[in-house]
Amino acid sequence: MGWNHDHNHDHDDADQPLREGRALRVGVGGPVGTGKTELVSCLCRALAADVGLAVVTNDIFTTEDAAILQRKDVLPAERIVPVQTGCCPHTAIRDDISENLDAIEQLERRFHPELVILESGGDNLTATFSRALVDLQIFVIDVAGGDKVPRKGGPGITTSDLLLVNKTDLAPLVGADLEVMRRDADAGRDDRPTLFVSLREDPLATPVVVWVRDALAAHRRPATAA
Amino acid sequence: MRAPDHRVALHALLVLADGRLPVGGHVHSAGVEAALRDGRLADLDALADFVVGRLHTTALAEAAIVAATVRHLVEVAGPPVDVLGMLDGEAGARLPVPALRVASQRLGRQLARVAGRCWPDPVLGALGDVHPDGCHQPVALGAVAFVVGADATEAAMLSLHHSAQTPVQAALKLGGLDPFGLAAFVAGLAPTIAELANLAAHYAAGPLADLPADTGLLVEIDAVAHDRRTDCLFAT
Repeated sequence: MGWNHDHNHDHDDADQPLREGRALRVGVGGPVGTGKTELVSCLCRALAADVGLAVVTNDIFTTEDAAILQRKDVLPAERIVPVQTGCCPHTAIRDDISENLDAIEQLERRFHPELVILESGGDNLTATFSRALVDLQIFVIDVAGGDKVPRKGGPGITTSDLLLVNKTDLAPLVGADLEVMRRDADAGRDDRPTLFVSLREDPLATPVVVWVRDALAAHRRPATAA
Repeated sequence: MRAPDHRVALHALLVLADGRLPVGGHVHSAGVEAALRDGRLADLDALADFVVGRLHTTALAEAAIVAATVRHLVEVAGPPVDVLGMLDGEAGARLPVPALRVASQRLGRQLARVAGRCWPDPVLGALGDVHPDGCHQPVALGAVAFVVGADATEAAMLSLHHSAQTPVQAALKLGGLDPFGLAAFVAGLAPTIAELANLAAHYAAGPLADLPADTGLLVEIDAVAHDRRTDCLFAT
């Protein structure tokens, strides 16, 4: 399932007038503290110069993530919108996407961005985005959580379009075996990509930016027959 | 197209009353988060007072708009957009707090989105023509209730049910209250909700300008303060 999959879908109907020519929507999910906000910040820094961008954050109980992004000055503040999730970060990206969809559509009407990044609140390994909310999803885990996390699986790890393993610089310090993580991730992901990074050492998230640019190029191409 | 069979309408009401319907309600606490922060909702008794107070004030005012929307859509002969516009003006006039007005429009948009998929109808399409930000939630709910074939009293009851459940479910998450005690409290509200639904339908039968405008001043002040904070779990 790639980023072109729903261009000809039967749910492309009249109640979603912005779908034609709308932004590519990329979700960033994953457990607390794995580097989701840092990744969004890296992507903004790397892409903002030549890609129209907007960001929706789903902080669990503060507007801290939005404030961090605004402080870092990676995007104009009005292009970063926080939404509350009522104690249920996974509900807001999966079961009832109303609030996030509304925020994205408001940003699309106002700024006509090419790319909207939606950062989920930190949650557990079962959290995934609805395909009605995002076109692509990145699931971020980290080495510090232990090298058994990919083996534990869960929809975030097995079904995300990109699995990102962050903080590789910590592997020797926490006794995590990156090869084990790669093997277990590959085993459950049907050839979908897994990338290993240390956002501390690579603050432009180089391999992720390449992946997002490829996705953007595919999104811009006219849809071909399914 | 109105549903002809009352059981068909009943099923639609069950769907509309179900917290699993994706209408965006789960991000709202109806003032409970702010009241808990101030230490005013320490136990189930305090929450019960809060909810009953809400039902007799803001919730009754909303339910009357919902019922009036059903009544006027039943009676209107031409395109519904004008009557929806008048009702939306009445709803907005009862929401002096900007944060609550924005939230009401957002919930109205979100309900119209899902209802348009569930029960496609030109009346629901007209909700988007009234105002670029969408109709207020009670007008949207009244329009949906009309489309599925509910009457004014049933529509008011649905509105009052959500007005009770929204703060109760938020209190369950925020306050660690006994979920069985909360369920029993909601079930015990039946006579109150039935009486208030009849009252809402009674008001709905009169002139629009005479619809009730009861509110809770502390709730409104709290809503302003809540909106200015940056450490909230719920949008309202």
